[in-house]
Amino acid sequence: MSLSTANLKETVKKQYFFKLKANIDAISSLIGIQLIAVLFSLGGIGGSLSSSEGLRIDINYYSADVVLVFTMIWALVTAITITTKPYRNHDFTFVTNRLSSSLSNILFLLTGSLLGAVTANLSRYLLQVIGYFVFDQQVYAGPFDFPIFILGIIMSALYIFCISSIGYLIGALVQVNKLFAILVPVLIIGSIFLDASIQKELSLMQVFQFYVMESNFVFFLIKILVTTALVFLASINILNRMEVRR
Amino acid sequence: MSVIECKDLTKSYLRKKVLNQISFTIEENKITGVIGRNGVGKTTLLKIMAGFIRETSGEIKVLAQRPFNNLYTSVNTIFVDDQMSFPPALQLQELLEAAQTFYPNWDMEFAQRLFKYFNFDPKHYHNTLSKGRTSTFNAIVGIASRCPITIFDEPTTGMDEAVRKDFYRALLKDYIAHPRTILISSHHLEEMEDLLEDVLLLKNGEVHLHIPISDLKEWAIGLQGPASVVLPWTEGKEVVYQNQIGLDTTYVVIKNDLSEAELAQISLNGVKVIPVRASELCVYLTNETKGGIDDVFINR
Repeated sequence: MSLSTANLKETVKKQYFFKLKANIDAISSLIGIQLIAVLFSLGGIGGSLSSSEGLRIDINYYSADVVLVFTMIWALVTAITITTKPYRNHDFTFVTNRLSSSLSNILFLLTGSLLGAVTANLSRYLLQVIGYFVFDQQVYAGPFDFPIFILGIIMSALYIFCISSIGYLIGALVQVNKLFAILVPVLIIGSIFLDASIQKELSLMQVFQFYVMESNFVFFLIKILVTTALVFLASINILNRMEVRR
Repeated sequence: MSVIECKDLTKSYLRKKVLNQISFTIEENKITGVIGRNGVGKTTLLKIMAGFIRETSGEIKVLAQRPFNNLYTSVNTIFVDDQMSFPPALQLQELLEAAQTFYPNWDMEFAQRLFKYFNFDPKHYHNTLSKGRTSTFNAIVGIASRCPITIFDEPTTGMDEAVRKDFYRALLKDYIAHPRTILISSHHLEEMEDLLEDVLLLKNGEVHLHIPISDLKEWAIGLQGPASVVLPWTEGKEVVYQNQIGLDTTYVVIKNDLSEAELAQISLNGVKVIPVRASELCVYLTNETKGGIDDVFINR
């Protein structure tokens, strides 16, 4: 029997396409969760009512923020899920090593993030259309600007991808020791209580602001890409030492 | 050429040694049966070869490389057992197609023919198959992938007798057409006797025997007769098994290093000389006690 050689790039490519098919349920749950988010957003995120001299003005604000937040939660959960035993075992049925398994997972998460970002950004228009046709409201929206629209998609995709990297790290840690499944939530919730009790600004908030309040696009890009890369690198290193199917 | 080399290989879980400094080599294109009692470390050994788990100490080389986390080992080996895990979202037909993309030697036409012979529905899902059907499907993937090193860990779990026979035959026929190194661990040695070339017998995490099956068939001999006549013959011999049958009859299995003349003499003394089957011998060799389960019931 002739021996075959395997190269990493080819294997990752094969695994990536395999995972797109195998994890189709994750993609359909993304669509499902976004539809639910759209439903929640239909009430509007805020409104005001003013009336004087028989004139009544009813304003409702529509925003796709909820859809984006739900998509981030999806990214977190999906990233954790694909580090679990059954998913890793799927890889080891066929040709893989731990590096190629992680790399194809990351590519899959990137694909999910891009898809989620596109649909989340488009859902804004879905909301406007529903408001116009179903609720019979007059819609006032900012003018459609294609570059801004694309920029919005890229930025949301990067946020979602970054969240998924954190999920992947949490998943990897839990695979090393189940205690992390308790430890991680305890640390996060604990830090909130601790900061609140000493009346300090929440450190979680500071982290959040470090990324979200960046107005310079290039700095934002550097911050989020470096963070994502480092977190994924840490996960790859952790998973690289794991035994499978014990 | 040896494709698998183990030197002082040790694997321990939480200080308990499952494999204890085992050393052996497996030659290319041989079918080796890995035999041993439950919990003796067969699966652990096979999983180390496949690169799933890491050795604690010692050295293992598969195709001259360390298998753990090795892409080269992964593309040239396949590990088949009933725990083989497939994504639940894919139909059986799609799983075969996925296997085709990963394994370079995969023979799709052959896989389809086996698939059809065993009456699988291409639109079914792997997680809905019964235990025996799961094993059968996994075995198809294992044979059709034609990996230079093919590892079957208890491949016949849950299969009925007809399917087991079909499986052994299919494996042998495909092996003859496309020789490769095959390792099979199984408890059905008697069914595999015609298939195997070598036997690797594990006991207490160590290699007890590693010999051709033809040697194993003649390795021991059973003597049956009155205790007073039989027992003197076993003195100084390696006694593998000893059991009392009825009041005065003793059955002893000893290592067969008797000469023709001695055997003739034994027969003249009224002792029945019985050949010991390989599967029977493996059970005796791996027993902790000389009398087997009967020892539990005597001398209470």
